[in-house]
Amino acid sequence: MPMYQVKPICGGDIQIDLPTCMYKLPNIHAQQGNSCCSEHALQNGEVDPAVKALEARQDEIMRKLYELKAAVEGLSKTVTTPDADLDLTVSSSLCTQSISAATFQGTTDLDALLGKDQGALRDIVINANPAQPPLTLLVLHSLLSQRYRVLSSVHVHSSVASVSPQLLSCLGPRHADSYARHLFQLGFTLIWKDVPKLQMKFSIRNMCPIEGEANVARFLFKLLAPYPNDPALATLVDQWVDVAFFQLAEGSAKEHAAVLRALNSALGRNPWVVGPEFSLADIACYCCMLSSGSAPSAPANVQRWVKSCENLGHFSPAKGLVQ
Amino acid sequence: MTKEEVQGAAEEDQQVQSKKGLKKQQKEAEKAAKKAEKQAKLAAEQQGSEEDDFSKDRYGVSAMVQSQQKLDRTLTRVQDLTTERADQLIWLRARVHTSRAKGKQCFLVLRQQQFNVQALVAVGDRASKQMVKFAANVTKESIVDVEAVVRKVEQKIESCTQQDVELHIERIFVISQAEPRLPLQLDDAVRAEGEGEEEGRATVNQDTRLDNRVIDLRTTTSQAVFRLQSGVCQLFRDTLTNKGFVEIQTPKIISAASEGGANVFTVSYFKTSAYLAQSPQLYKQMCICADFDKVFCVGPVFRAEDSNTHRHLTEFVGLDIEMAFNYHYHEVIDSITDTMVQIFKGLQDNFQTEIQTVNKQFPSEPFKFLEPTLRLEYKEGVAMLREAGVEMGDEEDLSTPNEKLLGRLVKEKYDTDFYVLDKYPLAVRPFYTMPDPNDPKYSNSYDMFMRGEEILSGAQRVHDAQLLTERAIHHQIDLEKIKAYIDSFRYGAPPHGGGGIGLERVCMLYLGLHNVRQTSMFPRDPKRLTP
Repeated sequence: MPMYQVKPICGGDIQIDLPTCMYKLPNIHAQQGNSCCSEHALQNGEVDPAVKALEARQDEIMRKLYELKAAVEGLSKTVTTPDADLDLTVSSSLCTQSISAATFQGTTDLDALLGKDQGALRDIVINANPAQPPLTLLVLHSLLSQRYRVLSSVHVHSSVASVSPQLLSCLGPRHADSYARHLFQLGFTLIWKDVPKLQMKFSIRNMCPIEGEANVARFLFKLLAPYPNDPALATLVDQWVDVAFFQLAEGSAKEHAAVLRALNSALGRNPWVVGPEFSLADIACYCCMLSSGSAPSAPANVQRWVKSCENLGHFSPAKGLVQ
Repeated sequence: MTKEEVQGAAEEDQQVQSKKGLKKQQKEAEKAAKKAEKQAKLAAEQQGSEEDDFSKDRYGVSAMVQSQQKLDRTLTRVQDLTTERADQLIWLRARVHTSRAKGKQCFLVLRQQQFNVQALVAVGDRASKQMVKFAANVTKESIVDVEAVVRKVEQKIESCTQQDVELHIERIFVISQAEPRLPLQLDDAVRAEGEGEEEGRATVNQDTRLDNRVIDLRTTTSQAVFRLQSGVCQLFRDTLTNKGFVEIQTPKIISAASEGGANVFTVSYFKTSAYLAQSPQLYKQMCICADFDKVFCVGPVFRAEDSNTHRHLTEFVGLDIEMAFNYHYHEVIDSITDTMVQIFKGLQDNFQTEIQTVNKQFPSEPFKFLEPTLRLEYKEGVAMLREAGVEMGDEEDLSTPNEKLLGRLVKEKYDTDFYVLDKYPLAVRPFYTMPDPNDPKYSNSYDMFMRGEEILSGAQRVHDAQLLTERAIHHQIDLEKIKAYIDSFRYGAPPHGGGGIGLERVCMLYLGLHNVRQTSMFPRDPKRLTP
């Protein structure tokens, strides 16, 4: 039993007054055995195996994600095209984003196609006769508006006395920013005029006017996506476009029937007119069928294809005008 | 020679003389006889004709109409002479355009404003030879009262406006005789330039026309032009009134030059001097600040510019518009362009006769436009010009040739003769133009073009007194001179904008004419003060 205790006079550890240098080095001697990883610093760009493993796992996960995404997209296509029981409005809101992006593969550059932007709106002028409204161009216009900032305007030329209100609003409501033309990438000016043939003008110095709805449709389509690389496929698209415009739109009833039969057999093999992808041929055939009024009397495959076209949702401006 | 010889010679001379004299006498006698015969014949004729003039009271020069009596006679208009009136006996008053006698007949062309009709006086049981002679001698441009029967013709009379009928005159009286020598012939005045050169016939040049304006205005072309001009004014008033605009009258004698001191006329005003208004700009804006909301005014504008061009006058009629807007000055542009389009449509629908008449002498392409009007930005215009090879800076004003080139390019691309160029650079506009909110190099101003020539300059105006003062200082304008103008914005001013057009220029460009003096009745330019 201690009689009394004496408080310690000095503390436990002896404080060493370390010199305050610029920076301190870790104590080489004290650290030994603490870390289980490499004893020397990483050299020659070697990657820490743990990091490597982490990266490998991440890559694996991303790959699986992409596969999943492709599978979902594939599924969604089959769901919203033939034999869908979905409500039209639902499906159109679902697919406008995915389908329009997925429908046209390949990128296009406006500057490369139309010439360098001179700091002013690049305006495409289309002169159309109100007696024959160009349905394909209306469809292409709505596709263009989704892809670029398009300033659309409709004018009536003095050679035409008056035009129905439907034709005046066929390009949709005026854009809120339409007072500032320079904010837009592309201008789409539709003029209802007494012209014998539809005409498009773009650059007065460098381009002659383009005549005929088929040709203007080809021009506008190329602003959205390039033609298929395969020349055979590209020719097939062109052939169907010509068939649509010359025989479906302007031909006799016999010619209509012949074209519908050909369409029927083509659509028996593929979901779309030219193959597995939606193309200009589909737009052309659908619109010409609509304007010639031969849709109700079409064979089965054609009817199915018509429904799938309508499910895509791009064709509402054309349908609205015909009704 | 001997006396006898001289005598003999004299005798011989006498004899010779008497022979010559005899011959002379004989000749004179023959002449006298012939003369006497002629005189006797004439006298006989005259007597005969005086005797035969049974239609003495059917023709002649009437006494000057001093309102001696009030006749209840209806005069038919020449334009109403159609086959519907066949075989009716009518009275009409018109001018004698031409008259030519052919044997026992005299053909007259009677003209009334834009219309003319063929008339015929033939020797018969109603008309004597003297009457036909009288009709053939009536001077051109005299005003005559004619009573005639309207007759159908088998072959159309191509040279007259009334092609299906002609008048068979029963009575013809001259109401106002014209002097025989006219300073210019109306047929020449109506002839197209090219046609004149080809056929070697005369045309009348502009100075002669303007010196004898009273006669020149009688031509069918002039009549048509000024009727169309009246139509423009009428349509302008009607369209704006329907949009809720109020017509105002602004003073033309003002105390301070509104747009810069260089181009004003000075008038002596009692003990001081005053100026003739260059534009109703100040007063239009004051009306807006006085809560009239939408105003327009039609009145003379005086510009003392020493420009002798085809499109400048020192005095012209200005049609000015000013309106308050809600949020964006494009509301003003839309209103103005809609008014212009309504005017064009009205002219297209109601004045086709006049347009065709003018086109006969001055052929041109019909005027085309778009509805709603095409509006391009200044940058786009510059880009189009650069593409066509013109080098110009971003903030440079458009020169007249560039404006015309741009007009042609726009016509090529959009097929319109009328368009608006919006967002001009701030540096080239007057001090009261509102700058663009997003880009200080540009302004909220616009110009409108017809057939490539400027007809209207307008903008959103600065409605804030402080900003206005700053802009005025920037343009080095004496603030004292515009104090009253700036004061009008100190007590609450709505955002507003507008523009003004020249009536003569609009008519000239609509019809495709080449000189503004053709659309101004009595034009004023640096070299002309009369008529």
